[in-house]
Amino acid sequence: MKYVLRRLLFYVIAAWASVTLAFFIPRMMPGDPTSTMFARFKGKLDPAALDDLRAAFGFTDGTLLEQYGVYLGNVLRGELGISIEYYPATVSSVIGNALVWTLVLAGVAVVISFTLGTLGGVLAAWRRGGWLDSTLPPLFVLLGAFPYFWLAMALLFVLGFQLELFPLGHAYDDRIAPEASWAFFSSVVGHAVLPAATIVLATMGAWMLDMRNTMIAVMGEDYIKLAVAKGLSPRRVMLRYAARNALLPNVTSFGMALGFVVSGSILTEIVFSYPGQGYLLLQAVQSQDYPLMQGLFLTITLAVLGANLLVDVAYAWLDPRTRQG
Amino acid sequence: MIAVQTRWKALAALALCGLSVFGCSAERSELPPGVLVITEGEQTAAFIRNFNPLAEVGDVRWAATRAIYEPMMIFEPIEGEWLPWLATGSAWNEDATQVSFTLREGVKWSDGEAFDADDVRFTFELLRETPALDLRGVWSHIEAIEVRGSHEIAFTFAAPHVPGFSDLAHQPIVAEHVWSKVEDPISFANEEPVGTGPFTEVRTFQTQVYELGKNPHYWQPGRPAVDAIRFPAFASNDQASLALVRGEIDWAGYFVPVIDRTFVARNPEHHHYWFPLLDGTVFLYANTELEPYDDVAVRKAISRAIDREMVVKVAMHGYTRPADATGLSDAYARWRDPEVAKGDWVKHDPDKAGAALDAAGLVRGSDGWRTLPDGSRWRPQINVPAGFSDWVRAGQVMAANLQAVGIDARLKTYDFGAWFDKLQRGDFGLSLGWTEVDPTPYGFYRNMMSPATVVPLEESAPVNWHRYGSAEAEAALADMASVADEDRQRALVVRLQQIFSEEAPAIPLFPGPLWAEFNTERFTGFPTRENAYASPSPNAIPQALLVLTRVEPRGSSTAQPEPRP
Repeated sequence: MKYVLRRLLFYVIAAWASVTLAFFIPRMMPGDPTSTMFARFKGKLDPAALDDLRAAFGFTDGTLLEQYGVYLGNVLRGELGISIEYYPATVSSVIGNALVWTLVLAGVAVVISFTLGTLGGVLAAWRRGGWLDSTLPPLFVLLGAFPYFWLAMALLFVLGFQLELFPLGHAYDDRIAPEASWAFFSSVVGHAVLPAATIVLATMGAWMLDMRNTMIAVMGEDYIKLAVAKGLSPRRVMLRYAARNALLPNVTSFGMALGFVVSGSILTEIVFSYPGQGYLLLQAVQSQDYPLMQGLFLTITLAVLGANLLVDVAYAWLDPRTRQG
Repeated sequence: MIAVQTRWKALAALALCGLSVFGCSAERSELPPGVLVITEGEQTAAFIRNFNPLAEVGDVRWAATRAIYEPMMIFEPIEGEWLPWLATGSAWNEDATQVSFTLREGVKWSDGEAFDADDVRFTFELLRETPALDLRGVWSHIEAIEVRGSHEIAFTFAAPHVPGFSDLAHQPIVAEHVWSKVEDPISFANEEPVGTGPFTEVRTFQTQVYELGKNPHYWQPGRPAVDAIRFPAFASNDQASLALVRGEIDWAGYFVPVIDRTFVARNPEHHHYWFPLLDGTVFLYANTELEPYDDVAVRKAISRAIDREMVVKVAMHGYTRPADATGLSDAYARWRDPEVAKGDWVKHDPDKAGAALDAAGLVRGSDGWRTLPDGSRWRPQINVPAGFSDWVRAGQVMAANLQAVGIDARLKTYDFGAWFDKLQRGDFGLSLGWTEVDPTPYGFYRNMMSPATVVPLEESAPVNWHRYGSAEAEAALADMASVADEDRQRALVVRLQQIFSEEAPAIPLFPGPLWAEFNTERFTGFPTRENAYASPSPNAIPQALLVLTRVEPRGSSTAQPEPRP
């Protein structure tokens, strides 16, 4: 109980710190959102209109500290303000639209990547020096070293454009109405295959290599020898004794990865025109859309913190020693 | 072992099949004929439903200003004429202080109500009450609006203001009976628009696509011939290009590299493009408040050092040509004076450039680099916004050109916001930048050299970033504002061109192309070089209306295209 409380306090402080950073970091960027936004008028904008628009968009002349106070109050009330780039849509509605797609795409991809990678790592370590061990980890580490967008473009060009096996982009066929039907569901899955494959291919190697290396270290432990000596089945030793213990560090990184899912896989989403969070983030930065940036940072932070909380809980379950701590 | 291997193979095959089932089932179904697919110029992954034609600063959909709402008249830049639209004609009074428009009879809003002069008056009154919507500042010139009967309206200016015509004629007109009930016209998203335009009925609106059906009450008989227009969202140029090459888009306005090979070759019969040089000229701005750019000889020397042929080839894929000494793009082709255009200060001549720099006192030091009068090395920086890949390439070529004549120039990229901020505040030596396009070159030359637009360094300048003022130009501009007669205007524009070429306030590089690609497999009637009835790009406001009302589904054509309304 003390453990949980201590963790909770930590999370509250971490949340405050990141909310504060989310406010100040965008404002340290050079330039300001008005001039960027008005740039598309190529200087034809009337100065009177400009001042009026500033007010309409909510740019105030208050000191930074005053603005910060207003912002904190709004965040506590759950008000994220109005997006500048998507004016007059609210930040919550813009993020809400995108969040679903990112969770679907990147969430599933990370889970697949983690599961396959970890299993592959276990198998590779168990049959150390076998054909699996000597081909898979190097192959996937090599793939992981390719830039994300390059991999995405290669998949898009070969499988999407040349062979026409998969659609080129978007989250579903826009000629199918989004409703609970098989046609829509299969369209969503079909559209997610290529972008998800990009993420899986690019990240699986790291999971596999980490898992393999920890497994090998664990397999040298005495309790493994004991388990083998007791005559337990190799599968039981591999999964229940070695893999469970070797999993701990990977679970920590999994929590982090799950949290970062929300920040989206920016490049993957751009290459495939996937309407997720990653693309929003890029747009927000480019147009210096402070409210949208703050909202995005906030959701990302909350997701990372939430995922870590889950990891803490999982730890307590996987490793009984933490419960006494 | 063999058994195991076959099992694996079978599994793998099954998995692939499974995935491709989704792939194949996601194969795009045929669109119904008559649905024209267009790409919005703006790159976005998710559409927000906003059809407010007045609040252009918001995230407004393409259709608002190009398909739903219409202006009184449309300027067609190729012939250089004003086409009647919601108004059938216009007239200036003697001293160019008042202009009147005769409105078209029988025009209806898409909800069936009649359109009349009160709608026009209401639209402009709305701009007066909400300065944030008066983006071009029409109310800084208008004194009064007078409705003279149901289809006649007159605007009176405080002083003669002929260039103000286009702001009036191009203003999208909204319906009084709808907008008078709107509380805040800036944040109004206008989700169910009521317009006079050819496409007004929102059939579908999703984050990644929207579709508009035709206006049941459209005023042009038998038009539009197209049943609906449809817009898929694309997050990047690459995505849009792939869809275009695959024939999924009928009308697009994107930059496509080596277009003959990537797009046309794939279907030479139906894949067409036309990139007329109707956008503004791209300039190298030199900050005339700073040494040594305050010297016209130095600006001309820099201009002579630049190899524009190379810039155009490397940066623009040969889609444009070097600018001439008038600085005018083809949007102003009929104003261009052939004598001034021959000016040689925009021709590549490194020897002459070097000699001029020597004469200006910017001589080469012992290390071969030119020095400023105070003895320090001259190290100009060419500012370019990061991500504008064509400009970045142009900047690289120019830096190399300047180095060749002994100027230690470098390219410097900034984030867009930072770049634009520096440009506006005059915190730069050399910077790339755009120019605007209007029906007449008045605005172009005003921003180029009117003392009225010069603000001190550190203050944000909306135009005239290079801060150049010419008293002679100001006199010609003032005359131009008060003369409605086109022949007299032409003489003044020639005078402005002469002043521009003499004083070289900024360094013209190349006229900007407008991007326009068409797929004629399902539709015909797009503007082409041979049938240049309108600016071909879907990005052009409001000229896209001309195209939307002319395009027809293939095979439905009724012999010859009808004359313009």
